[in-house]
This record gives sequence, C-alpha cells and structure tokens, in this order.
Amino acid sequence: MTNVYIEGIGMTKFGKFIDKSMKQLLVEASIEALEDAGNPKVDAVFVGNFMGGSIGNQEILGALVANELGLGYIPTAKVEGACASGGIALRQGIMGIVSGEYDTVLIAGVEKMKHASTADVTQAINAAMDNDSNEKQAGLTFPGFFGVLANRYFHETDATKEHLAMIALKNREHALHNPLAQFQKPTTMEEIMQARIITSPLGLFDCSPTTDGAAALVISRKKGAIHIRSSAQSSGPTQMQDADDLLSLPAVRESGRLAYEKAGVGPEDIDVVEIHDCFSMTEMLAIEELGFFNKREGWLAVEQGRTKVTGDKPVNTSGGLLSRGHPIGATGVAQIYQLVRQLRGTAPNQIEKARLALAQNLGGTGSYSTVHILERL
Amino acid sequence: MNIYQCDQCEYASVSNKYRCPSCGTGKLQEQDISTKGTVYSYTDIHIAPAEFAHLAPYTVALIQLDASKAKVTVRMDAVVEIGDTAELHHIEDGAYIYRKC
Repeated sequence: MTNVYIEGIGMTKFGKFIDKSMKQLLVEASIEALEDAGNPKVDAVFVGNFMGGSIGNQEILGALVANELGLGYIPTAKVEGACASGGIALRQGIMGIVSGEYDTVLIAGVEKMKHASTADVTQAINAAMDNDSNEKQAGLTFPGFFGVLANRYFHETDATKEHLAMIALKNREHALHNPLAQFQKPTTMEEIMQARIITSPLGLFDCSPTTDGAAALVISRKKGAIHIRSSAQSSGPTQMQDADDLLSLPAVRESGRLAYEKAGVGPEDIDVVEIHDCFSMTEMLAIEELGFFNKREGWLAVEQGRTKVTGDKPVNTSGGLLSRGHPIGATGVAQIYQLVRQLRGTAPNQIEKARLALAQNLGGTGSYSTVHILERL
Repeated sequence: MNIYQCDQCEYASVSNKYRCPSCGTGKLQEQDISTKGTVYSYTDIHIAPAEFAHLAPYTVALIQLDASKAKVTVRMDAVVEIGDTAELHHIEDGAYIYRKC
C-alpha cells in the first residue's frame, strides 16, 4: 500500500504533430491533469522522456514544465529509462511522497519522434541497447530481439505468426473506440499477415509505431478515489545472449511478483490490464510473465479471445502501444491515464465494475520494468 | 572464442561480470572454447538502423555453443533455421560473423 492517490489525469492525442514542440505537448497534457485535480499546489515534477536530447536537442524538461506552468522554483527532474521512462517517473514521484518530502507531485511523459527519419529514430532507440557489445555490433535491433524471441516461441509451442496477428488485430480493434489513439483505421487479419516484414517473423503491424504525444498525472498523499495500491520496479538482462531462458522477461516477471506481493493481490484479482506491447510478441510473453496465463500458453488465451475487451482478462483496452501509439517517454504515463478512466467508469472500451487495474511498462530489451496496481476505492 | 564461466555454479556468458549474476557469489573465469554451436533462434532484419542499413536484409542468430552453457549473438553470412550448426568465420568490427557448417 503506497497511500498515494491519483488526483488528476491528462493526455494529448497521440499521432503526428509536426507543428507542436515537445514543450507544447508537455504543457497541454500537464494543464489538463492539473485542472482535473482541481489545481492543487505542486511540490515537485518528474518528466519521463527518452530521446528529447538525441533527436530533439531539448533537455531540462522538468524545469521547462515548472516554468511554463508557473509552479514556482520547485524541484524537478527528467527521468530516463528508455521505453519505461514514464513508469519510472511515476515511481519516483510516488517515492517522493512516501518518503514524506512531497505532498503533491506532477508526473508527465513526452516524446516527439515523427519529425525524424525511420533510420534515425531506429538509431536513437538503439541507445537503449548495450552498445559496447558484440551483440550490438552484430546488428541486432529492438524489433530484431523480439523477432528472435518469436521464432523460438513458434519452435517451442504450436503458436504461429497468426497468433501474433491476433494480438495486433485486437489492439487495433480496441483503438478504434479510443479517440486519443494514433490508429483509427480498421484492419484485417489478411492485411496484418501480408504486411511487409520488419524483422522476421514480425511484420509492420507487429511493431509499435513512432509517435508524438504526452500524458500527465497529478498524484498526492490526500486521500482520493484512485489508490496506487503498489509500485514495483526491476531490472533484467541488457543483452539477449545473457538471457537464461530466452522466452522469459525476468524484469517483467520480478516487477509483477513484487507488485502483487506489495498489493496483497494476485493476477486472478486484476480486472483490466495495460501491458507494454512494443511488439505483438512482447504482449505474448508479458501476459505469461505477469501470471495471467501459464508459461508458453499465452497463445492459447489469445486464440480464445480471453485478452479482448470482451474476454475475462482484458489487455490494452486503450489500443496498446501497437495502436494507441508509442511516444516513448509518455507511454508509461498514458497506460495509467487509461486505467484511471477504467476505474472512474469513463474509459473507451469500458470494463464493467473494474476495481483493480495493472499497468506494466518495459524499457530496453527487457532491461527495465515497472508494474503499478491501481484500486478504485 | 573467450567465454566466462562461474567458478561456483553452471552460469556462463560471453561477457565478463564483476560477480556471477546467477549465484551471486561466484567469480567468472575466462575460458577459450570452440566457436562451434547450434542456431537457437534467429531473425532476418529487413529494416535496420542507419549504421547497418547498407547490410539489410541480414540475419542475426543466437547460437548455443557446443562447449559451454553460454549463448552468443552473431551475424550469419546466409539465412538459417533453428537447429542448423554453425561456426565462426571471422570477426568484423567487433561482431562475430558465423557460417553454417
């Protein structure tokens, strides 16, 4: 139990916003969260961001937010944990309140990627690999890593590329009902299966897109309707060749185990889930690692539709990274945005009477993972 | 090829570490072993980052070494399947380039 509560949420539409600066996106989401919280006094700001420096030449994001919003000369910081930057920023805010230092903290996450070429973005994302390694020199990439995992998963189970396509289709179908999602165009199994290959067996629809966008939260020790029941974080191997079990993501497994333990609940108690589906294959492994389904049986649950909004364990009702979009530093915060709306009863793809919600945010090739369990009081 | 074998447990890696991440107490000892192994899994990379774009499409494989518990990530000089046997052909810019055998 953290005794930290979510008071306000905000999020920009995710997509391509060439005319908006990173600062504008950050401010837009932050103002929405502050207004939603009733404009409380803010004691600190943590901003999740990954590549603002490398492809946007913009750092000092914490101070930018404090100044643009007139929050005063309060402590602020940017938090970097690759694609888990947002989840880690939230956790830093929670720690700041739990420690007694702050009463109310503004958490924001942002990324601006659409102005850069695919080759340049892929290069910048590769900063989240261990670049002083023979593995990086071999030419492995993020989609490459999950391609290697997928081929092994197919080898060890009866799963096929169609099961990955089912995940991509499910998340697109969820996104169609989310007006803030990047992709709002319907697709078909056929289109997904025949899309161009990125890193075999993964095709275009198996990979999350580049996205511009921001999301924000106001968290507080003041008792409110949405309690952050637990916050957990773990690390994992930074190289594929160091994986003990290639079909395991130890950071996801361990952060999930810790979050359940701290919250005093189990995977069977969770009503709605946002999982870090940077690739369709990542969602497949994460639903297993978080204990929702047995190891190497996630594909059966996917085939049975159990992770759809109509299933018994709805995953990524926002559309997930695959279809809501993946502005890297904003993703972990946007997951919480969707889950708070689920718990308030105002979400796209609303799950009836949702009370417990889980968000899992992954960084690197399994290098970082955070899990937060939220509860409607 | 050099690998690092824990002196307390079965853990082995192609990269050295201060202490064994598996048992937490062992020290890793350098060993020179055969490069021969089996393709554990692979991917064909069609979309590559700027620095490797000139090679695309190319195949990256995870090789289970025959003489150690360690696995090694390599670039293949041709397409492969899981279970193919392969060995080091040469080292290029710090990358192990493997060939089927």
